[in-house]
Amino acid sequence: MAQASAQLLFDESGQPFIVMREQENQKRITGVEAVKSHILAARAVANTLRTSLGPRGLDKMLVSPDGDVTITNDGATIMEKMDVQHHVAKLMVELSKSQDHEIGDGTTGVVVLAGALLEEAEKLIDRGIHPIKIADGFDLACKKALETLDSISDKFPVENRERLVETAQTSLGSKIVNRSIRQFAEIAVDAVLSVADVETKDVNFEMIKMEGKVGGRLEDTILVKGIVIDKTMSHPQMPKELKNAKSTLFMFNLQVAILTCPFEPPKPKTKHKLDITSTEDFKALREYERETFETMIRQVKESGATLAICQWGFDDEANHLLQANDLPAVRWVGGPEIELLAIATNARIVPRFSELTKEKLGTAGLVREITFGAAKDRMLSIEQCPNNKAVTIFVRGGNKMVSWSYSSIFRIFKFQIIDEAKRALHDALCVIRNLVRDSRIVYGGGSAELAAAIQVAKEADRIDGIEQYAFRAFADALESIPMALAENSGLAPIEALSDLKAKQIETKNSFLGIDAVFAGTNDMKEQKVIETLLSKREQISLATQVVRMILKIDDVRVPDDEKMGSY
Amino acid sequence: MMRPPIILLKDGTENKQGKGQIVSNINACMVVADSVRTTLGPRGLDKLIVDSKGHTTISNDGATILKLLDIVFPAASTMVDIARSQDAEVGDGTTSVVILAAEILKQMKPFIEDGVHPQLLIRAIGKACEKTLKELANLEIKISGEAELREMLVKCAATTLSSKLVSQERTFFANMIVDAVNTLDAHLPLNMIGIKKVNGGNLHESRLVKGVAFQKAFSYAGFEMQPKKYTGVKVALLNVELELKAEKENAEMRLTNVSDFQAVVDAEWNILYDKLQKIADSGANVVLSKLPIGDVATQWFADRDMFCAGRIPQDDLDRLMAACGGSVLTTVSQIEDSVLGKCGKFYEQQVGSERYNFFEECSKHQACTLLLRGGAEQFIAETERSLHDAIMIVRRAKKNDSIVAGGGAIEMELSRLIRDQARTIEGKDQAFWMAYAQAFEMIPRQLCQNAGLDALDVLNKLRHRHAQGEKWAGIDIHREAVGDNLVACVWEPSIVKRNAITAATEAACLVLSIDQTVKNARSPSGGQMPGLPGM
Repeated sequence: MAQASAQLLFDESGQPFIVMREQENQKRITGVEAVKSHILAARAVANTLRTSLGPRGLDKMLVSPDGDVTITNDGATIMEKMDVQHHVAKLMVELSKSQDHEIGDGTTGVVVLAGALLEEAEKLIDRGIHPIKIADGFDLACKKALETLDSISDKFPVENRERLVETAQTSLGSKIVNRSIRQFAEIAVDAVLSVADVETKDVNFEMIKMEGKVGGRLEDTILVKGIVIDKTMSHPQMPKELKNAKSTLFMFNLQVAILTCPFEPPKPKTKHKLDITSTEDFKALREYERETFETMIRQVKESGATLAICQWGFDDEANHLLQANDLPAVRWVGGPEIELLAIATNARIVPRFSELTKEKLGTAGLVREITFGAAKDRMLSIEQCPNNKAVTIFVRGGNKMVSWSYSSIFRIFKFQIIDEAKRALHDALCVIRNLVRDSRIVYGGGSAELAAAIQVAKEADRIDGIEQYAFRAFADALESIPMALAENSGLAPIEALSDLKAKQIETKNSFLGIDAVFAGTNDMKEQKVIETLLSKREQISLATQVVRMILKIDDVRVPDDEKMGSY
Repeated sequence: MMRPPIILLKDGTENKQGKGQIVSNINACMVVADSVRTTLGPRGLDKLIVDSKGHTTISNDGATILKLLDIVFPAASTMVDIARSQDAEVGDGTTSVVILAAEILKQMKPFIEDGVHPQLLIRAIGKACEKTLKELANLEIKISGEAELREMLVKCAATTLSSKLVSQERTFFANMIVDAVNTLDAHLPLNMIGIKKVNGGNLHESRLVKGVAFQKAFSYAGFEMQPKKYTGVKVALLNVELELKAEKENAEMRLTNVSDFQAVVDAEWNILYDKLQKIADSGANVVLSKLPIGDVATQWFADRDMFCAGRIPQDDLDRLMAACGGSVLTTVSQIEDSVLGKCGKFYEQQVGSERYNFFEECSKHQACTLLLRGGAEQFIAETERSLHDAIMIVRRAKKNDSIVAGGGAIEMELSRLIRDQARTIEGKDQAFWMAYAQAFEMIPRQLCQNAGLDALDVLNKLRHRHAQGEKWAGIDIHREAVGDNLVACVWEPSIVKRNAITAATEAACLVLSIDQTVKNARSPSGGQMPGLPGM
């Protein structure tokens, strides 16, 4: 229609009239222009991430408005911190986020793939192919690619811990922690295995707690089969100082009482007022308070508890009484930690002192306070619990080079190492979890993508109709992953890729990938570079979905203050 | 000698009348239609709209787009209204109704410019509309038989979905929706189909839960100790706060004796414990409440291996009630086995990054939940809108089991029939009828344009076919050719078309009958919204 592009209409007297509210303040792009500007924006985002892909991928340094520095190569984190404004670029952010939520790994790859697909789509649009046709073709090609992935996938022996560790190593390979990769991989595997419910193939991440403390080295990171809480004994003279300074308080067959009531006289919830009319009354009140404290402590003692962990606080008087009665206690422990503690120690959470009985106590083999180097930070670790379903990963970080530098930026940087280590561990945890859920795997190093690309390209010749072009484009886009890997590893990308492709076709060996770490072989099976099938499938189908969505938009209305198409 | 002007209206009031007014109104309506035009059909594209708050919506649904455009032109808002009414009435065809209305107006515009009285036009198209509906009733095909009915529903849903973002998966979703609607009771209440959106995952991982699923509620310490899996579940649905709190608001107690202190505290605890005990005694093993369930209660239930969740949204509770039976209690004093909901299976599972609670194998089977997965937030939001359309269609089609062929086939046929009828009319009405008939051709024309086909060529082929008596000849977008759409299974419930034709005609009549607009000046406090300059 003629008016389709005209925003303003004029009536017969030549005066404009306005149909939509504030339409003169809106920007509008329609048709191919819109699609192209979107592709441009999305590709810009993808290009940012491209160099982070793979074990030789580089990190991005992101400075927030508050001056916080984040250094990471985790796709989802970069996207989140970039604070993208453009509405289509935001879709790419969502894309990596949903890969993060669903799989937790491969967040960079999915964005790079989507960017590559859009790049290919742009060429086709230039040739005059209808965007939806391209999207349809991509969808078909995606199905074919997924089929190929299924066919080349391997069954993974989930029972084999060693193999799991190797897989976790692949995920950690591109992260900052690859200095102590083996150790981190083992931690991740052990953590998941101890909370996994093999029967339902379900892993509840809420049972894995991650604590970080600045100082020490990455190598000091440990997995505690139990709980570490950022608290200390309520009274400085409580038992931990009886032993030597480093690790203290060994109490075997410890009975833990977990309380969610404060060590103080109970108060009614209803608004109340106590009228004190005479000194006797006042004395009675004092007496009552003292008695309550004593009863409480007696109740705890009588139940047989040797350690009280309390969600609320208690005042100095109570603290003193506890100390006097040789009852170590921890106060102000947060709700989630209380819960984890209860699960780990098999204790029941007790809301009132009067309900405390022997059956409700939990047990722990070892409770100790951990101190760190020169810092005064102390943490309490509760270990050797009867129920191993709750674990804590205790991350240490900051390196020596940094610790003598006291400029503020370096201090922040120190913090970020722990955060980055946590993110890396989270990715690794996700990979292991996915394996527990679905034990099929493909090999990494771009080998799976390449195999799929070869199959899709082969299939393209068999298709009649315009979708053929979309098929080829899809195959080309898939190749961009090994291409980016090669580029990031400093290889000659086109040479390496064509070499590899020829080898794959010749030997029909779908495990051949880019030798990014220069291990001397292209066989990823040998290199033990493993990725879960679930993650690869998700990457390809998510990217295709989002590409379809972007291609399908032909009309954009944005308030004018926002800059359009100029991401 | 100048006479002082007579001031009839307040200063700033815009007043416009006459033929020019009708023409401007028609133009405005056409602008509105233009903004949704390209969304029609399987090759229709989406619109991305960013509102002033920066919220992005990507949609293909006519009603949604028009709502977001925020139209202020008085006559043009009629268009928005008919799109909305179509949405409320049948749920789909919102784009076509707007296009049709605009096209009728466009066809009438030359007559207005030539000085035909609008009332004549209104009368003529009113009659033509009656005739159209009669013809539509003759054309529609009744579907009978259980299996055929289901097949029909699936096809109708698939046709609706074919123009949406999820078109590649339309058979998957069509089957899912039909299953979902079939679980409902005779009234087909829409709110008994819960739609839950979880970011991430593949569209294929969307699933229909025959029962109820909802996101894990905020939980207090102790929750993780509760079992997360039951069979033979008895659900207590409550609207009771299970928390240690002041029983009476604004009450104040005066204690004179310290020993009373303990008594009061005990009393408060006992009130709560009594409630909990009653629930436990009733035999329930899952306790859900609309109001919060506090930490004490959570731990108490955990102690007895029961599951509880507080702050469950009302609609989820309603669905649970429909699925499992039982009733929502506002007090626990009467709780007993008969008021508990019953279902076969309860479990908690990870969906994407969220944990979800599932109730399945329910005793009454009158509610279900669609769990949607997808790559981005906007993606799922659009999927939800598409599915909503499809659900509405299936609901309507279930009650009204006649169908017509889509893809422009029915419009071409109606156009032909009215044209035939027009030739039997004497007088200038004939021209108006012809114009009305012409308007119907806009739908197939737009389908072609959106798909990048040669509209003229295709329309001529279609006219030819219809003249030959192939009444279901329509456009087959996927093959880019003309074909029999009844065979190609492009089906739409006839009610959609009927409602669209009536609504579009009425809207056209309404716009035609306006010959004067008086718009009061905006009160100064109302912001500086640009009104209608120069009108």
